[in-house]
Amino acid sequence: MKRWMKLAAGAVAISLATAGCAGSGGSGNTAQSNANAPQQLSGELTVWLMTGSAPEPLTNALHKEFQDANPGVKIKYEIQQWNGIQQKLTTALASQTPPDVIEIGNTQTPAFAAQGVLADLSDSVNDLNGGQWLKGLKDSATFDGKTYGMPFYAANREVIYRKDLFEQAGITTPPASRDEWLAAIDKLKAKFGSDPDFQALYLPGQYWYSLLSFIWDEGGDIAKAEGKNFKSTLNSTEAKAGLEFYKKLVDASGTKAPKDNDEATPQQAGIYGGGKVAMFIGTPGEVATAAKTDPTIKDKTAAFAIPGKSAGKSAPVFLGGSNLAIPVNSKNTAAAKAYLKLLSGQKYQTEIAKGGYVPGTSTDISALSSDPFASVMAKAAQNGRAVPSSPKWGEVESGQNPLKDMMTAYLTGKKSIDQATTDANAALDKLLAGS
Amino acid sequence: MTSTKDVAAMPAGNTPPASPRVPTLRARRRRKGFGDSVLPYLLLAPGVLAIGALLIWPTVQLVMISFRKLDLRELVTGQLVWVGVSNYGDVLGDPEFWEVTVRTLVFMGAVVAATIVVALFIALLMKQLNPVVRVLLQVTLVVAWATPAVAATTVFQWIFDQQYGILNKTLALLGFDGFIGHSWFSDGPSTLTVIGLLITWQAVPFVAFSLYAGLIGVPREQYEAAGIDGAGPWQTFRAVSWPAIQPILTIVTFLSVIWDFRVFTQVWAIKQGGPDGESTTLPIYMYLKGIAGSHFGPAAAIAMLMLLVLVILLARYIQLLLRSKEVDLK
Repeated sequence: MKRWMKLAAGAVAISLATAGCAGSGGSGNTAQSNANAPQQLSGELTVWLMTGSAPEPLTNALHKEFQDANPGVKIKYEIQQWNGIQQKLTTALASQTPPDVIEIGNTQTPAFAAQGVLADLSDSVNDLNGGQWLKGLKDSATFDGKTYGMPFYAANREVIYRKDLFEQAGITTPPASRDEWLAAIDKLKAKFGSDPDFQALYLPGQYWYSLLSFIWDEGGDIAKAEGKNFKSTLNSTEAKAGLEFYKKLVDASGTKAPKDNDEATPQQAGIYGGGKVAMFIGTPGEVATAAKTDPTIKDKTAAFAIPGKSAGKSAPVFLGGSNLAIPVNSKNTAAAKAYLKLLSGQKYQTEIAKGGYVPGTSTDISALSSDPFASVMAKAAQNGRAVPSSPKWGEVESGQNPLKDMMTAYLTGKKSIDQATTDANAALDKLLAGS
Repeated sequence: MTSTKDVAAMPAGNTPPASPRVPTLRARRRRKGFGDSVLPYLLLAPGVLAIGALLIWPTVQLVMISFRKLDLRELVTGQLVWVGVSNYGDVLGDPEFWEVTVRTLVFMGAVVAATIVVALFIALLMKQLNPVVRVLLQVTLVVAWATPAVAATTVFQWIFDQQYGILNKTLALLGFDGFIGHSWFSDGPSTLTVIGLLITWQAVPFVAFSLYAGLIGVPREQYEAAGIDGAGPWQTFRAVSWPAIQPILTIVTFLSVIWDFRVFTQVWAIKQGGPDGESTTLPIYMYLKGIAGSHFGPAAAIAMLMLLVLVILLARYIQLLLRSKEVDLK
């Protein structure tokens, strides 16, 4: 009997041990891909792009051309969802066989680069059309002087407005300065204000991407680099001025948007699609979302760049977008680089522009000019800016964003502007310093 | 004992056939015992293996990770970096941790108390209701119970929305004009109250059904007897209902404490622990400090500390549970 028990115990121990092996995974993974192997690429190339990034005609053509040039390589193309992507990437990167090409949001890129989990592409920048890289994205993919990603595409915000309502209110030209913008709001309110549901401008209280434009326009910033670290500058005079203008807009427009939520809850494009909103700040892609509520709205809609402080000069905008990177554990770095090279060429960059995005590795945006929304966006993108390229920034966005708390507290009158900015400054410093 | 006596009292003539029988049985049992005594262990093995693989091993891993630096870099390269107790030192040295712990305990206490009181009331009500109304109530309870947490959270967000929420609009209709545009999520206590309501709303059905099950187990005669003895409603409850549901109440309280202590989904979905971190509870704190930035070491340390807090909180209950089990075994 004792022998049997020992056996049973042994079996438990063994199964525990094997379960353990499977659980701890990823250890001792020292196999390095031979990046400098002679050409004639082979093997499997796993590509992860995000949903809505690359139009299907683009990827079809790209993959066909790549396949024809490299018959030995088998492309495995998978489209990923944004929801939960950071966890999925973490798991994938830690596995023995990670994808070979991945798309990473530009605000998340520094975190991955700083952890040393992306291949260093510094030597390949020239192969990848490096001279024409979009600056805002390039900065986000650079860490410690090295390049860890290739800009893919970007989009930025503009003011989307109803042409018909503007016309009826007697506004002939779209506002080109803050004063004209506020004047337009007054005219719209004078014309349509009798309707209690009418909003001249829909502007939720925690729309911090919009606030960034105003802070940058004042000459301020969220944080400034001090060596390798970042120091929050939200309590600067310029940042306060930006926040004050935001409040001015909210108060002037009488927006019914929640002061304690951002542009995604509720979806602002859906509210605009309801037909009682004359303007909102959004990306060209949101016009399509609004059209889901009211298909006729697209023809009545146009866009102008977010007006700046000084007339005729639009405000800087936050560049949202993606970079492409190669995981450091990739087994097929050579093929991945060849793939990126092909994608960085003019042909496919034009396709990206046709898809309505600002292309990452080409300064040629002529393909965007035919679209009334994309052309305005592309012009503003020249003055595009990025959030601090701190490896901690991802935590600011995925956690409790101090900018959002600051905006709600000031807009609802819970805190004075000095108190709100001082608190946010301290909270942001704590996050950027991190543990 | 009695059987031995009987055997001993048996006439001598009957003993010879009996005595060889006993050893034979024993011998057979011993021979058979090989398979017999192994069989229980074999039958237990799948369960033990499953528990080992699903519970024990992850816990061991968690303990080990809490003594390591495990960021994305270490995860990808497979390095083992031991940092001793520094993860614990960092967490315990953070004043925010203590603030959050106290807040979590108060929040949990309030939610558990509210859940138990409301559920007890509903359970007692169910016993008195007309069958049709009772089934209606039970269906409603099950529906509330079956609503996925995120869906329920979204509905609550709509209800409490500053501009479009039905609550503010209703209050304004009723003449409370102060609630037009009132923000329910502008400070921590108000936000936590809404979250607490949501969690209570979803937790009540299970507790109510459990208590109701205990109540219908009480024989009708006991209530009749109490009535004959002239007991009022309160006395009847104290003397008849209470003893029947008290053990169940202990268990559901125990479970509620565990559930409400580690609740994450609703708290996160409502306001991500904001504004200004004022509705951050321990699970949110763990997510922010650990998972959000891929710092799995501190996350594991916070998880261990949470486990410790729970064990301290529930020590008395565990003791009670073990003791009542002993009583049952007697």
